[in-house]
Parts: sequence; C-alpha cells; structure tokens
Amino acid sequence: MISERTRRNLRRELRRSLLARLGIVVVVLMVAMAVFAPFISPYSPSQQNLDNSRQPPLGFSTKETKEVTKMEDGSVVIENGQVVTETQTVYTNATAAHPLGTDGNGRDILSRIIYGARTSILVGLFGTSLAALIGVLVGLSAGFYRGRVDDVLMRSADIMLAFPSLVLAIALVGVWGQAQAPIPDPFVTTGIAPAFRSAVGLPTGMPETVVLPGTVIVVVALVNWVWFARVARGEALSIREEEYVKAAKALGASDGRTMLRHVLPNAITPILVLATIQVAAIILLESALSFLGFSGADVSWGFDIALGRQYQSTAWWISTMPGLAIVVTVIGLNLVGDWLRDALDPGIEGEGGV
Amino acid sequence: MSLSRFLIKRSLQGLLVIWGVITVVFGLRFISPGDPANVLLPPDVDPEVRAQVIAELGLNEPLYVQYWQFISGIPFGDLGLSLVTRTPVAARVVAKLPATLELAIAATIVAVVIAIPLGVLSATRRHEPADYGATVFSLVGISTPNFWLGVMLILVLAVQLNLFPTSQRPIGLDGIAMLLAGGDVGAAVDGFVTWLWHITLPAITLGTYFTALITRLTRSGMLDQLGRTYVRASRAKGLPETLVRYKHALRNTLIPVITVIGLQLGTLIGGAVITEAVFAWPGLGTLIINSINARDWPVLQGSLIIVAVGFVLVNILVDALYAYVNPQVAYD
Repeated sequence: MISERTRRNLRRELRRSLLARLGIVVVVLMVAMAVFAPFISPYSPSQQNLDNSRQPPLGFSTKETKEVTKMEDGSVVIENGQVVTETQTVYTNATAAHPLGTDGNGRDILSRIIYGARTSILVGLFGTSLAALIGVLVGLSAGFYRGRVDDVLMRSADIMLAFPSLVLAIALVGVWGQAQAPIPDPFVTTGIAPAFRSAVGLPTGMPETVVLPGTVIVVVALVNWVWFARVARGEALSIREEEYVKAAKALGASDGRTMLRHVLPNAITPILVLATIQVAAIILLESALSFLGFSGADVSWGFDIALGRQYQSTAWWISTMPGLAIVVTVIGLNLVGDWLRDALDPGIEGEGGV
Repeated sequence: MSLSRFLIKRSLQGLLVIWGVITVVFGLRFISPGDPANVLLPPDVDPEVRAQVIAELGLNEPLYVQYWQFISGIPFGDLGLSLVTRTPVAARVVAKLPATLELAIAATIVAVVIAIPLGVLSATRRHEPADYGATVFSLVGISTPNFWLGVMLILVLAVQLNLFPTSQRPIGLDGIAMLLAGGDVGAAVDGFVTWLWHITLPAITLGTYFTALITRLTRSGMLDQLGRTYVRASRAKGLPETLVRYKHALRNTLIPVITVIGLQLGTLIGGAVITEAVFAWPGLGTLIINSINARDWPVLQGSLIIVAVGFVLVNILVDALYAYVNPQVAYD
C-alpha cells in the first residue's frame, strides 16, 4: 500500500526537517508514557495525601501566611481568657518526590499527567479510527456512485458541518450521559507491573483498570467523520475515472470489491495525513469536554486543568502542568502531520482544533 | 451560471440544510435516556399529575404531530418554552446573542489585525528570524487549547499582576448603544472603556487559535502568489516592490483567507462556548452549558438551531462574497 517512492519522500523530508524528527520523538514518548504508565508513574494517579497538598514543582517554593496559635515554651499563650494567634509565614519547598508538584488533594501531578496521557491517547486513537471508518465509507460511496447517493450523503455531511463540533459534542454527551467501560490493565492484573515496581522500590497499588470513555469516543467520531468523508469523496471522484478501476469493473468486480481493493488503497495517503491531524483535534476536543466536566473522566488533562482553577491564586502549577502536556502532545502530532503532508503533498483541508 | 442563479441555488441548498439541522435537533431529545417530564416533576409525583403534565407538554401526541409542532413555529421565531422557567426559548437565546457575538467579533478583529501583517511579514522575510518567530507562534497557537490559554491569562494577568478582571461582563455593546441613544456620551465612553477592559482577555483567548491559523494561511498564500508569473512580470515591468506585494499579491492571497475565516466561524462559536465558561461570560455558550446541566431540552434545542442556522447563513454570505470578488470561480 505504501510505495517505494512514498517511502523515499518520507525519508527525504525527515532528513531535511528537524521539526519533523522532533514531532516523531514527542509522539513516540507520549504513546510510550501512556502504554507503560503502570511502570513509570511515581505514584497511583488517585493516591491522596492531604498533608502534602499543593506542593510546588521543582525549582519553585511558595510563601503563604497563616494564622496559627501562638506558642511560647511549648505551651499555648492565653491572654484575657482567649487563645492568642499570630500570623506566621509558611514556606513550602519543592521536593524531588513530586517533581511537578502536587494538586489540591496532595496527588502527584506527574503521575496524573502520565495516566492522563492514556485517556487522551485512547480517545484520540479510537475516536479518530471510528471517525475515519464512518467518514471513509460515506465519502467513498458518495464519490464512487455520485448522483443521488452523493447528494444525500454530502448534504447530510453539510448538516453535520452546520453545528460547531464542540457545541454538538457537548450537546450529545449532555443528552447521552457518560458511559464508561473499565477495561483491565494487563500490566497490573498479570502482576508484571507490581513486580517491577517493588523490585525498583516504587510504591505499588496502581489502578487495575483503564477507563475507556465510550460515549466520548463515539461522540468525537460523530462530530468529526465529516472531514474524512470530504477527503475520501474527493479522492474517489478522481480515482473512479482511472483505467484500472474501469478495468476492474469490466472484469466483473463487485462495487464493494472495487471500492475496497482499488479505490481505497489509492486514496489512503490523504486519509492518513488527515488522520494524524484529527488525532490532535480529537485530543483537544476531549480535553475541552473534560474541562467542562462533560466527559466523566476523572484522570484527564482537561479535567485536571479545571480542578486547578480553584487554586489559581495559591498553586498555579495545578492548572499549568496538564495544559503543557496537551500543548506538547498536540504540537508533536501537528509536526508529524506537517511532515506527512510535506512529504506526500495530498492537498487536503481539515479542521484543526477547539 | 449567473451570480443571481448561483445565489438562488445556494440559498435553496441552505434551506435544505437548515431543515436537516432542525430535524436532527428535534431527534436529539429521543436519544436522551431521560423523560422531559422528570425535569419538571419530583420523582414521587402522583401518576395522574404526571400524565397531565405529559399531556400539557404534548409528549403523548404521535411523533409526526410533535415534529410538526416543533418545526411549524420556527419560521415565526417560536422555539417553544423552557422546561424550567416556562418562558419563550427564543427570547432567552436572543438575549444571550449580543454577548457571544461581540466576543466572536472581538476575537476575529484581534486575529485579522495581528495575523495578516504577521503572515505577510513572514512570507516576505522568508528564512529570517521574523519568519521563524511567526512560524513557531502559529504552531504553538494552533496547538494550544484555548480554555487553558484563558486559565493561564487569568492566572498571570488577572490574579498575579492584577491588570485585568478575572471575569464577567458588566456592560455590553448593546448597553453602551442604549446610553448613547439616551444622549449620555460620558457614561457611554466610560462604559466602552469598561467593556474593552473586560473583553480583552476573553478576546485573546478565543482569538489566538485563529490568529495562528490565519497567519499560516496568509504566509503560505503569499508565498504561493509571490512565486507566480504575474508577480515576476510586474517586477520586470518596474512596478515598485511595495505595489507588487501589497496591492497584487496580498489581494489575491486574501480571497482564500476570507473564505476560511467564514468556514471557521463554527469553530469560532464552539470556541466561544468554552471561552465563556472560563470567563463566566454570560452568552450563548453559558446558556447551552446551563441548559444541559438543567436538562432543559427546549433551550438546548433552540440554541443549537440558532447557532447552526447562523452558520449556514454566514456561509451563504461568504460564498456570495467569494463569487462576487472572484467572478471566474466555477459556481459549483
């Protein structure tokens, strides 16, 4: 499916572009982080420690003034029958135990970012795959059959496009509710990760399931399939005029077979480029839904940004860190998308983000 | 095909899409697991009262009757009644429109004013620091979730440095217009300053993605135009470089840029929803989110219809504009 010429173009572009290599490194790191979360995460993402809340990230310290009971020689000072209080400045220093600090409940932010990558990447991959499946089926049929089929399918695509994707996504998740499927984490249930963790001296007790946000995946696919339909249709329109498609038809190949064996493989390049950009767009969409509290996810970058808002005057890092994780991931995906587009030059359009 | 025929055809297509939009929005209620009557009634209500409420809401009518009731009022601006407040939905949506529109317009102004010069600068100084700066800016701008940007702006500029308010919209352009109409110019100027002060952070939040996007488009469009034969011919003819760049190349670049701005309007409204949530901006987005949380379906449905119909109309307008400035376009 990927020709020698294509591979050569990809390699040439990769040698030429530092940014493309950077993008690949970022994406590979993020995926690795998500997959191997139970091995590398310093703590469980839900492990609370209220005595240790709002610890600043490495390189920072916080100064807070607190009203505390005045003590002299180890006893409480009482004047006029009342306990005397005094303002004391409390410094909190960063510790290596929590390199990115802790949140309002004393949970380790680095661990939450590592586990949050799972949510983002699951939704990004599954959402994009489902959107591509729907969109490619619709688009190929529209372009292949043209005429009335094309009219009906593409007008329904226009109807979907009339809704801003975020607004439609909010409405759909809002009316559907949030179905989630906990799937067992194979690394934890087989005991590999716990064994590894106790061997290297990391705390155990990692979550045994990965939560698959089912509704969110379906919804992001439902609002984003249109872009795939448009690209697939455009490709099918031109490919159907090619000699080899006519030959396949003349030889008696069924429509389904012609589309899947002859049209689709030749339309795959622009679809792949679009898919890369769409993973980024869908990760942004998921984070927006989580930020608004509609996704139901409790370990998600967008959700943690929202959680941090109540500490915006005392602990800036709680909202800042997960946002940086989103930005880095999306930049990485966009760089990979640019690389594929420059190398393969399919000339497509597509929506970028939230 | 002539321009007028093109417009008629395009408008008919638009009507068809609007009908589809209304139908999809109507169907939304039926995929929802909850019963609208439950929003109004306590769970332990007397079944007779319940049946009466369901009858009043028309929920026991056959589907086609409900559909007709839903759709027939819309051309006359009747979007039904809110389940919660029992007031007309249309009035509530219209009351929230100015806040969202002024946010969207302010963001577009921010985007256009920054992005087009930046894109031109980037294209004309290719491979110079200015170009790299603009490229990095647009990459980061496209990749940054706007709600996080809003939270960061609040964190730094409002909470830490106290330069801007964290939220709210004490006065809108509609209120300022009212003051002007009342002849109170002083208060109107004060109001405008307050408005500007409050809308700055939300407008930057909403506008950054578009600034980045339009910078990218302007840059690549401009590079494409500058490489064309007519540019070389004009230069060879001895036209001043400024004229070649800013009159000819830029003008041809702007046509697709304007189309994209129109097409991205949906994203802009989507972005406005979340920007409003960050800044407690009392617009359509806040209304949509509140109506979902309150399970107030008619308000949600009405807002969706207004947003989608607005989007369709703007797109027809953009197409017409496009056809007008570029008569060679093959009317599809």
